[in-house]
Amino acid sequence: MKQILSFTLNGSPVDVVVTPTETLLDVLREKLGVTGPKRGCDDGDCGTCTVLIDGEPVRSCLTIALTVAGREVLTVEGLTTDGDLHPLQKAFHEHGAFQCGFCTPGMLMSAKALLDHNPNPSRTEIREYMSGNLCRCGSYEEVIEAIQAVAAGEYASQVPAGDKE
Amino acid sequence: MTEYVGKAMPRYDGIGQVKGQTKFVDDFVLPGMLYAKALRSPVHKGLIRGIDFSAAKSTPGVVGVVTADDIPGARRFGACGDQPVLADEFTAYLGEEIALVVAVDEDTCMEAIEKIKLDIEEQEPVFDMFEAMKPDAPLVRPDLKSNLWEYGPGVTTRAMYVGDVDQGFAEADHIFEGRYQTGEQDHSAMEPMVSVAYFDDADRLVIHTHSQCLYFQLGQLAGIFNLPMSRIRYVGGTVGGGFGGKNHIHADHLAGLAAIKFKRPVKYRYSRREDLLYSTKRGVFILEYKTGIKKDGRITANHIKLWHDSGAYGGFSPYGVEKCSMFACGPYHIPNMRVDGQCVLTNKAGSSSMRGFTIMNGQFPMEMQMSKIADSLGMDPWELRFINAWRDGDIGVSRYVVRGAGALEAMRGAAEVHGIELPEHLLAMSSRER
Amino acid sequence: MREVSYFAPTEVGEAVKLLAEHGEEASVLAGGTDLVAQLNYYEIKPAALVYLGGLGLDYVREEDGKLVIGAGTTIAHLLTNDLIAEKFSVLAAAAATHASPAVRTTATIGGNIGTASPAGDMIPSLMVMDAKLVLASSKGERAVPIQEFFTGPGETVRTPEELIVEIHVPLLDGKAVFKKLGRRKAQVCSIVSTAVRLEMEGGVCKDARIVLGSMAPTPLRCSKAEAMLKGKAVDAALVAECAAQAVAESTPIDDQRATAWYRAKAGTALVERALAEAAGI
Repeated sequence: MKQILSFTLNGSPVDVVVTPTETLLDVLREKLGVTGPKRGCDDGDCGTCTVLIDGEPVRSCLTIALTVAGREVLTVEGLTTDGDLHPLQKAFHEHGAFQCGFCTPGMLMSAKALLDHNPNPSRTEIREYMSGNLCRCGSYEEVIEAIQAVAAGEYASQVPAGDKE
Repeated sequence: MTEYVGKAMPRYDGIGQVKGQTKFVDDFVLPGMLYAKALRSPVHKGLIRGIDFSAAKSTPGVVGVVTADDIPGARRFGACGDQPVLADEFTAYLGEEIALVVAVDEDTCMEAIEKIKLDIEEQEPVFDMFEAMKPDAPLVRPDLKSNLWEYGPGVTTRAMYVGDVDQGFAEADHIFEGRYQTGEQDHSAMEPMVSVAYFDDADRLVIHTHSQCLYFQLGQLAGIFNLPMSRIRYVGGTVGGGFGGKNHIHADHLAGLAAIKFKRPVKYRYSRREDLLYSTKRGVFILEYKTGIKKDGRITANHIKLWHDSGAYGGFSPYGVEKCSMFACGPYHIPNMRVDGQCVLTNKAGSSSMRGFTIMNGQFPMEMQMSKIADSLGMDPWELRFINAWRDGDIGVSRYVVRGAGALEAMRGAAEVHGIELPEHLLAMSSRER
Repeated sequence: MREVSYFAPTEVGEAVKLLAEHGEEASVLAGGTDLVAQLNYYEIKPAALVYLGGLGLDYVREEDGKLVIGAGTTIAHLLTNDLIAEKFSVLAAAAATHASPAVRTTATIGGNIGTASPAGDMIPSLMVMDAKLVLASSKGERAVPIQEFFTGPGETVRTPEELIVEIHVPLLDGKAVFKKLGRRKAQVCSIVSTAVRLEMEGGVCKDARIVLGSMAPTPLRCSKAEAMLKGKAVDAALVAECAAQAVAESTPIDDQRATAWYRAKAGTALVERALAEAAGI
């Protein structure tokens, strides 16, 4: 039974026809051309599908698309504003916080949610908040450093307008 | 140009990763793209008696099925060329691909696969290497004469030796034996196996791959598809983690066959479970060491027997046995060495490369053996290793001549990092001469 | 492709009517963190999904000496709720060990109870507080002590027409402690877990509750171990004996996470530490 799902995606309204068993991840990747969120496991363990819904990190692979009606979804594509990289994106790039890059979109979304809730996290708090994002290439240390660098204000002048604090 | 040496540079291709724009294979979604999923062997070992696809084929949304009979070229692939592209007479491991269902989406594929009537006669499998080597053991596959890999006619042991180990043991004051095992591991790269195939405007078969070794695999694919390499565009370079797991062809051949048959873009995507259960793994090694040593700490002889679990097909395992054998005596000068390696087939999904493929499987047991010897002799473990470490000009077990030996210097550096003060006579030693 | 219906009722009465109509053919969807994984891997094939997110069951209230927790309360909300922090902190301690931050955003306490895994993180804390579950159906409501709710791994007394709507937690005295052991420190299904609650007075235990998770087909009350403590002066020796007794009442198995042998050894240590902490020794 197909239905029209309407929600806000990276700041823009979107309508898409979905079936009840389609997940938000299915819809983003296969119907809306938004392939930043990845399909690493389809059971909520790896974190590569992590997006923000109303500012909170969520597993899009475990989210039935129809439950997202009327809500605000943010993916990695939405971190760049008017061509400017988000401070976290810059920090990840400069700190080499990835190798293959497959885990990176999910890492960035969790990191954004972390700093939105806790602008000055301790190293332990960073590790706990990021514990749901796995990386098999072994870039965890650089991810922590990149987050710490942003939290320390090293990219402060570059916060895009309208970004939640 | 030299102003960049010694400086940390952001990756030139890194912007794509942080923007989520880098296209991994699964990110390719093409108009009219079909999906393929495999009918997999429900038993560890079986004889295929017949398959009825009619209910699957008539499922709405199913475009068709692909079986071994649809293969235009070679029906076997893999580094040893012994693995069926699609099983047609027998299956040799749980989950082995028998046929593909191709449909408008994966849900439809999976629904149709459940409707396939597979008549398969279950046979007795063998999982343990030593069980498989017994003379009365069931053959892993009906096309084998033995569960031991044949390196040459009747030759199932890969032997490497220098000197005479029996002579070496006669000269030893002590002999130590040890049995070691390294485990089976999965790479679990964040990107599961996936492939996308379609024909382009020049009627070339395009395959988007995450292969770690396109040139190893292109020839195999050309053989399977019966296409000259000039008619295949094998597009790779973006790998979501490989670690050795993407040296074997997992989905490129499947997506390609479906694209050839139905003349539409096809994606074959492994679920994480498929990847965990059926993709290649680091295979088990079991090694038995016998080491002879003189009172003064010099090793006189080292005899190793090793066995590698290849799974049901050869793959890189026969080569793996050779490679492990080369390193299993460690970086030590041993005048008499012998390594007898065997590659054993069992009814499991194939073993293949993973992170330092077989090298650690050999070096780790040798180090355990050295530690055991030092303990038993009451000898300083550093001294034991310093005395026996390679110098330039020493010979390895496969008779390569060591050049640029560095074990001593590396150990000195390690000791320094950990604040361990080594005695003067060890610090005075050099890899350049004994 | 198989047709599946989707419903998003806005009140409990509507929801239970749908469940009465569809029975076993319907799956209830709250956070989806267990259910959708099963859907993704074709393990279940419901004819209908009934989404509970619109029922307004995400709340925590204090009423007549007990906490009333809506079954739809997310694990993330339990972690930020002041009443839970103040009056039922052991539940927050358990919530902090559950899965990962992204899963906790949508996972619900009702879902963790309803999935009824013997490893369910939220369950032991509720059991040591003698919590009651309120189940609603088109026939009305019934209260089931959580102690009596689980009948086997993934099995409960809830019928397909019933919905868990509320959890009532009497604010009993004593200090409660939760501990969880996994193969790693985060995002892990427990090898063994425990919750204990001890009412102490002058070093003597007046009442005790000891629950083991992942050590039996259901989360397990260790009543013989509890009886060992009641009325006794609690010291390290008694705590050790009691922990051993608790594990002796369990039936750990070998599985992909651990062996029964390891569970028994680690479980004994875990219970010992929890009891010592709860007793303040």
